[in-house]
Amino acid sequence: MKIKNYVVTVCFLVFFLGGALLCLLHSPQEYSTSERRKLKQFPKITTETVLNTKFMSEFETYTLDQFPFRDAFRTVKAIAHYYVFGQKDNNDVYLAGDSVSKLEYPLRPELITSAGQKFETLYNTHFKDTGANVFAAVIPDKNYFLAAQNGYPSIDYDELLRLFRESTPDFKHIDLFDALTIDQYYRTDTHWKQECLSGVVDVLAGGMNIADRLTWDYVENKVEAPFYGVYYGQAALPMAPDTLTYLTNPILDGCTVYNYETGKTTGIYDMEQLTGDDPYEVFLSGAAALLTIENPACTDGRELVVFRDSFGSSIVPLLVPAYSKITLVDIRYVDSTYLPNLVDLSTADDVLFLYSAMVLNQSNMLK
Amino acid sequence: MLFSSIPFLFYFLPAVLLVYYIAPGKFKNAVLLFFSLFFYFWGEPKYTLLMLTSITISYAAGLLIERFRGTRYARVFLWIGVGAGLLLLGFFKYADFMIANLNGIFGISIPLLRIALPIGISFYTFQSISYVIDVYRGDTEAQRNYIDLATYVALFPQLIAGPIVRYTDVAAELKQRSHTAELFSSGAFRFTVGLAKKILIANPLGELCDIFRESNEKSVLFFWIYAIAFCLHIYFDFSGYSDMAIGLGRIFGFRFIENFNYPFISTSVTEFWRRWHMSLGSWFRDYVYIPMGGNRVSTPRWLFNLFVVWMLTGLWHGADWNFVLWGLYFAFFLIIEKLWIGKILKKLPRVLSRVYLLFIMIISFVIFNANGLGGIAGDVGGLFGAGGIPLVTTETLYYLRSYAVLLIAAIIGSTPVVKTAVSKITPKITNVVIAPVMLVLLVLCTAYLVDGSFNPFLYFRF
Repeated sequence: MKIKNYVVTVCFLVFFLGGALLCLLHSPQEYSTSERRKLKQFPKITTETVLNTKFMSEFETYTLDQFPFRDAFRTVKAIAHYYVFGQKDNNDVYLAGDSVSKLEYPLRPELITSAGQKFETLYNTHFKDTGANVFAAVIPDKNYFLAAQNGYPSIDYDELLRLFRESTPDFKHIDLFDALTIDQYYRTDTHWKQECLSGVVDVLAGGMNIADRLTWDYVENKVEAPFYGVYYGQAALPMAPDTLTYLTNPILDGCTVYNYETGKTTGIYDMEQLTGDDPYEVFLSGAAALLTIENPACTDGRELVVFRDSFGSSIVPLLVPAYSKITLVDIRYVDSTYLPNLVDLSTADDVLFLYSAMVLNQSNMLK
Repeated sequence: MLFSSIPFLFYFLPAVLLVYYIAPGKFKNAVLLFFSLFFYFWGEPKYTLLMLTSITISYAAGLLIERFRGTRYARVFLWIGVGAGLLLLGFFKYADFMIANLNGIFGISIPLLRIALPIGISFYTFQSISYVIDVYRGDTEAQRNYIDLATYVALFPQLIAGPIVRYTDVAAELKQRSHTAELFSSGAFRFTVGLAKKILIANPLGELCDIFRESNEKSVLFFWIYAIAFCLHIYFDFSGYSDMAIGLGRIFGFRFIENFNYPFISTSVTEFWRRWHMSLGSWFRDYVYIPMGGNRVSTPRWLFNLFVVWMLTGLWHGADWNFVLWGLYFAFFLIIEKLWIGKILKKLPRVLSRVYLLFIMIISFVIFNANGLGGIAGDVGGLFGAGGIPLVTTETLYYLRSYAVLLIAAIIGSTPVVKTAVSKITPKITNVVIAPVMLVLLVLCTAYLVDGSFNPFLYFRF
């Protein structure tokens, strides 16, 4: 009995005193690779921040962010959450077979309609009188294939499409839902795989009447380093990585990409990103408000403007052979009312609004 | 500062343990007081002075009552001590409630004061008041050492969410207490169990309640899941905190009173309140109900006494009418049990009387957690399909499946089943597994904390 008391006492003291020592000795990290975010640094301490408790709340965030072996503890939590307490999702992230996804629920009709109205306003402002052909396509997110089938709450995608089409009456809508399966998405990431998009490109090209200007003649370049997608870090569970592949051909190799924010000119693929935090950013250098792709191999001067999210980064290069110039706009990062000051949209022959269902359902992020 | 937070567990607790056990015996109370004030200052810098004021008034009142014992001045100082505490509590907790009601009744528009509620004011005020009354009654001597009295009121383990410790229960330990490995280890394990109840059970159940509130697809089944989840949530949240407080108390040599005794296995409302928040129930019994005459009075007076006590019990939990209604709801059932159905309940098979209690208790906590009086009809009505809501939805079934293990574990954990099972295991085995079990729970709690977000205790608002 006495030994038990000493053992319990020592264990308790070692756990907390040892933990405290580790916390004090632990060097603060700047960035969490698994969560792809900056970590909180030691907060500024002043009389004001102490009296208004700002210091205390920031210190709490600091201690959470900088806790020793943080990722290992997150994995312990995820394992307990899924396998001990039998919970179906962990912070909305769930496993379905060997794929991981994040719950997108419920359907927010007002945001779908709001996105459509915003796009319709862009059409009326920039393209109504130019004679450009305006197309729209919704990309199903992974939940379309995984959620309902695996007993997770799923939004009504038919209703989403109906609401979106109803609020964009001037667009020609292209249905991509039947051109995709779950196998065309990365298991550990939210995005689709570029090398699996030939069917999607066919449907888009058919809808946009550019099928005769495109061919599927690419070299598949597999990246040797494992690709751990955005959900890998969020799931915090051990799982096999994906393989990232990008497609090249001489036409794409000859293109230049101009980034209006950075003022830099690069190629279609930004190889430096392959060693960065998110290798998916190899496609058109990742998140960017405004890009222009110039294709010297196409000399007829046809221009395309794409309003897009991150899914567009990997598919738009596959539309390049059909156009001399493609302008990509991401209105999550640039206020759409500023566009006329930045770029001339009036010369576009075709306009494509290409958005994932997930972004439409969270369209309050669109500016 | 929350017990279930990294700053408490890995910064504050190690520091106070180190300094406390290094400090010589005569300085131990001063160490506890210093760290307790720091603990309070961390959450409420501006209200630390308010708490010290409350302590100082009680200290002075106690000394003056003793000095003038036997004279009418003793009674005056009693009222000053009690009145000052009630005045502070009334101002900081109930001023806006009273103003809003006055505005509503008389059609006037006195601006609300919008004062932030000082954390734990209900708990430390009740402790201070009980001390002053106990000195007046002669149940204890006035504390001459300010540090000792301040340590009693401000002691961080029970400062902000109870249990409401009586001065008479810890007066001897404030003066002289022993520190043994047996007491420390029992406290350490009790603290760990409380931490696990809070982090592993109460917090996820709280998330389920939040999901229900935000859901656009409510169903009758979802209302029941929410009602059951909330009852379990508040039980594990509050009893978990009490376990941590009692455990920390033992680590520092104090033996605090128990606050919960498996209330959900009760067979009547009367029994429920003997098992739920016992320190509050006994406080109202000893300092309000019995001084008013208790049940040794005429029936109308007894009914009045019950009405007052339960209205105050409701109000103690929050400055809103749904809390008052919650208190009176229990008063109603206590009265009909005393007058009519108490004997019938005793004769019923236990399972039936437990179903009776659970039904009343579940409805009571739906009232408790409703968004004011207006929200009660919607929440209680939803349990019975009011508003034409469906019986079940896909979303409901998903969350039922997702939280099934947790709900079952919580239901089992709210009964003495685990305790009974453990008691049947030979001490040899329990002695061997207790330390590994504690370490596993501590690792799991740390993992949940590191992954999780800020999740305050429910009883901080009281």
